[in-house]
Order: sequence, then C-alpha cells, then structure tokens
Amino acid sequence: MSDAVAQRETARGVGRGVGRGLERGIGLALPLAVSFLVAAAALLAIGENPAEIFALMAEEAFGNARRIAATLSAATPLLFTAVATAICFRSGVFNVGVEGAFLVGGLAAIFLGFTLPAGLGFLLLPLCLGFGGLIGAIWLWAPGLLLARYEVDEVVSTLMLNFVAAGITGYLVNGPLLSDYAGNNVTPLIHEAATLPRLMPPSTLHAGFLVGLLAILAYGLWCRHTPSGFEAALVGLNKRFARAVGVSVPGTIVLVMALSGLFAGLGGAAHGLGQMYRFSDGFSPGYGFTGLAVALLGRNSPWGIIFGAVLFGALASAGTTIQLFSNVPLDLVNIIQGTVMIFAAVEVGRIAVPALGRRRKRERTADGG
Amino acid sequence: MVVEQVLVATMVLTTPILLAAMGGLVNRQAGIVNIGLEAKMLSGAFVAVIVSSATGSWALACLAAAFVGGSIGWLFSLTITRVGANMIVAGLGLNVLVAGVIGFLLAWVYASSGTLRLPDVALLPSVLPDSIATLPLIGPLLAEMDPLTLLAWATVFALPVLLAKTRIGLWIRATGNASHVTRAVGLLPKTIQDVSTIFAGAYSGLAGAHLALATLGLFNEGLTAGRGFIALAAFYFGRDRPIATALACLLFGFLDATQIRLQTAGLPPKLIGMTPYVMVLVALVVTSIQAQRREKR
Repeated sequence: MSDAVAQRETARGVGRGVGRGLERGIGLALPLAVSFLVAAAALLAIGENPAEIFALMAEEAFGNARRIAATLSAATPLLFTAVATAICFRSGVFNVGVEGAFLVGGLAAIFLGFTLPAGLGFLLLPLCLGFGGLIGAIWLWAPGLLLARYEVDEVVSTLMLNFVAAGITGYLVNGPLLSDYAGNNVTPLIHEAATLPRLMPPSTLHAGFLVGLLAILAYGLWCRHTPSGFEAALVGLNKRFARAVGVSVPGTIVLVMALSGLFAGLGGAAHGLGQMYRFSDGFSPGYGFTGLAVALLGRNSPWGIIFGAVLFGALASAGTTIQLFSNVPLDLVNIIQGTVMIFAAVEVGRIAVPALGRRRKRERTADGG
Repeated sequence: MVVEQVLVATMVLTTPILLAAMGGLVNRQAGIVNIGLEAKMLSGAFVAVIVSSATGSWALACLAAAFVGGSIGWLFSLTITRVGANMIVAGLGLNVLVAGVIGFLLAWVYASSGTLRLPDVALLPSVLPDSIATLPLIGPLLAEMDPLTLLAWATVFALPVLLAKTRIGLWIRATGNASHVTRAVGLLPKTIQDVSTIFAGAYSGLAGAHLALATLGLFNEGLTAGRGFIALAAFYFGRDRPIATALACLLFGFLDATQIRLQTAGLPPKLIGMTPYVMVLVALVVTSIQAQRREKR
C-alpha cells in the first residue's frame, strides 16, 4: 500500500462534502445490490418468486409494531458489535475479536447478575453492565497492547482469542458456573433486579436497544467532536502523517482496542441481561461477525451502522418466520450476509486497510522507525 | 493396546488438519492468508459424500472434492487479486456464504436440516494389506492408512524440496516476499497467487473428503468444527515451514485423539480444545518480541 494511496485518502478525508457522501452511498449500495441479486438467484433456482419473497420478508420485518419490535430486538446486539468493529477499522486496526469480547462480557455481567445480593436493587443493573464492559475492554486491550508494543499481528491474535473466549466460557458454564437446577451448559438465572426492562411487552425488545443507540451516539460524538477521535481517524488515514504531527500511534491503537472491547462487552452484557437472562452455549450465534458485516456496510458511520444493524436484524427476524411459512430455508440469510461481507471487502480493500505481517514490516521500514 | 488405539486415532484425526494446513501454508508463502479454509473443507466434505454415493467410487469423490475446493479457491482468489478485496474480510465472508449455500442446498434438495445421509457411500480404503496389522505398535496404524493420509504425508516431505529447489517454488516464495520484484522480472504475481489459492482450495477440499469418508460416510454441517482455523493455527505456529507445521498438526491431532481420555482423567474438554489457539498466541508473541529485539540490536 503506497503512500500515494494513503495521501489521497487523507485528502479525501479532509475534503468532506458531496463527493464523500456519494461515495459512501455507493459503498452501501453495491454490496447490498449484489447480495440481493445472489439471494434472488438462489430463490429463482428453487422456483420461488424473489419479489414475492422479499415483499413477504419486508412485511414480516416491518409490517406492524410487534414485528418492528422483533426486528429491533434482533438488531440490538448488532448495534454494539458493529460499533465495536467500526471503532477499530476506522483507525486501520483490523480487529476481528469482537465475538470473543461479546462472550466474555456477557458471561461477566451474568455472573454478577446471579452472584451479587439481589438486595442491591437498582444498583445491580449498572454494576453488571459496567463489569461486562470492563471485562470486554480488558479482553481486547491485551491484543491491542501486543500490537502497539510488539507488532503482534492483530488479525491472528484476535481471531485466536475468539476461540479462547469460546473455550473459557464453555468450560465455565459446564463446570464452575453450572446451574444446580438445570441440565447442561447453562448458568443460573440472574436476579430480576438485574434484568433490563422490556420496552414493548410481550416483544423481547428491551432497554439494551436504547443503550446500543447511546453507544452509537457516544461513538459519533467521539469521532466528530473530540481530539482523540480525530487523532484516531488520522491514524487510520495515514500513520506516517499522524506520527509526524505528534499523534501517538501506539497509544491510539491501545485506546481503540480497549474501547472496542468495552462496546463489545457492553453488548454481551445487554444481550445477557435483556434477552437471555443466563449464559448458555450458543449465547452468540456469531453476532461479532455479523457486526463486522454491519460495520463494513455502514462504512463505520453512526447512521450507516444503525441502518445496517436494523437491516440484518430484519433479515434475522424475517428469515425465521419465512422458513415457517414458505419453503425458503433460513440459510438464505447467511447467503446474503456472506455476500455482503465479500463485496464490502472489495470496497475495504480499495480503501487500503493495512494488511498483514510482511506488508506491515515493509511499511515500517519505509517509515524508518 | 491403548497406545495403538491412540496412535491410530491421532493419525486419522491429523490428516484433515494436515491437508488443509499444507494448502494454507503454500498460500501464505505466496502472500495470501487464507481464512476461508473452513469453507472449502466443508464444501469438499459435502461434495465427497454426494459423489461417493452416486458413483460408489472414493477416488472420484476425492477428485470432485478437490475440484470444488479448488474452484471456490479460484473465485476467492480472484476477488482478492483482481478486484482488490481485503483477504481477511473476504475469507470470513466466504465461510458464512458457503455455510449458507450448503445449508440452503441441504434443505432444498435433500429436505434435511444439518445432516446428509446417502446410501452406498464408498469409504476410503486402506492402502496396505490387512495382514500388516500384526506388526507390533505401528501395525494397526499402517493397516488404517488411507490414500489421503498417504498423500498428506507425502506432501509434507515433498514441499520443502518443491519450495526450495524448483522454479515454481521460488516463484511462490518470491511473490510472497516481494511481489513487485516478481513482476519486475517478468512473472505474474497475481497469477502465481491464484494458483497457490487454488492449491489451498483443492487440499482443503481433500481435507473435507477425508473428514466425511474416512470413517463416517455422511455429511454434517458441523463436520469441520473449526478445523480450518486449527490448520491456520498450525501453519502460523510452524511459521510456514512444512515439517514444523506437520508436527504442530500431529500435536493437535493427538490432543483431539486423547480428548476423551483426558476428560476422564479430569481435564475439561473445552479447555483442551482451545490449546491450539493458545499455543499460536504464545508463539506469535514470542516471535514478535524476538524479531523486535533483533531489529533493535
């Protein structure tokens, strides 16, 4: 990745305006268009009318208040995991470990939710949420530090940490934290005082959705209105330039990784306290990776993330019902998600995310430090 | 007896990881980190079961698995080398996409969710005559030796030579280390990368065929169970060197084989299962720190 590209990117980043907005729009439209074409082809292949199925899905996802609530409920974990991914991608840090931080954060919050005395009352909820966020932050702070200090490749380290997180949480819920009153793989239920309130009963939409929106708001404000948010963007656009104007690149890397973990851990906590009420195997059916697709689709922008999360929430909630009422397998949702990721990857590739090992080393030698 | 059982189980469980790791290793030497090995293993296993049932031939099943894995690898490679996709995101996306397509086909064509059982699936034969099983210690192991295991180990010992001494090996390493130099001397680095990704895809397809046809004779959506990532862990741990990578695969296969025994000895299976990943993390940190010390000196 040459400096020329990076400089062009800097110029583009500084010169905000119509061009950038248009580019973002295309960035959103292309992967979406391709993935819906692929899905339509799959539907045609099995003899279904794509237009009918898509209309049915839209109806299922947004048809009335109850369905919208179900969609937003499915979007809730994605708000967190997408922000967690975006905050790193924006700085050119290729963190794919949000899934793991979501798991450990969720288990941490649930652990406090059933071990702390129920008498703590309204204090219980913030304690649990905060602990989940804290554990998530520590979980990703570690690979962040390793990257900043020793240039330990973050893609591999965070990818591996996902499996470690799954292993540790799986071990804990099968052993030390196993519920006395249930069969396998589940912790006890959290106290009622520790649960996030439902917003629209009987739908499962819970206050975690609002926390997620707050997280996105915080991210948006941090990006646009704080010095450290600006510095983080500089690091993502051009490391050399950032260094030259006195931004601490290692410091920024550690910061965005820890913040990413914080958001991911909070997401796990909100999912646990609002939706699941206990930790079990299969706590996250890949929310971290769907969040990655959402962040790519939304080009790391707050509105883009909200749009992407609601879209994937809609796909998830409509996909389940569509399987019941038609012959369309739920796997259609995975086909759409996978295609979005691959074609969003084309976009990302073009905007020069610093890639792995060897290339980074060369870049560093070129930087002379 | 126990020793021999463990040896056989280790060999059988090592082969799929080893095949995928050898593919991924060559791919990474050419400069592409293949996160999509899992997807190609899964499609290889799926196709192998279908073809084996339809033709009754394990050889055709393996060829089909290699072909499908290689084709997916080729398309995957094109998105990276020609359209400029980010290899990590594209690899993760490929895993999601392929799992989706296979689930879709399973549900639609075979009206099944998750598992595909077909009649008359031909399993992999053993290469050596049964009488060899009477040899002490390694007898049972040799008797269970199937063609893909043989291929995997042949590749382990052939690759160092192929990579070091042949022209194509040099091209691959040159592309991974300095693609602009490769282009400057008149080679086509992108094509070389495509070829290496096809190789990785074909070997991952074979790995999937082994998973499906070694003993099971059926396909399941969870069949690969993260083995593509264990293979990734293996060649990162072995630093892209075939023999070292193979030793890592053997260790991971051994852990897999002894998991049940270790479990009865009181070690929790979930913690044993994450050993490969922890080992890679440790190795990664150690080598990075060493590299930095060396530079500072």
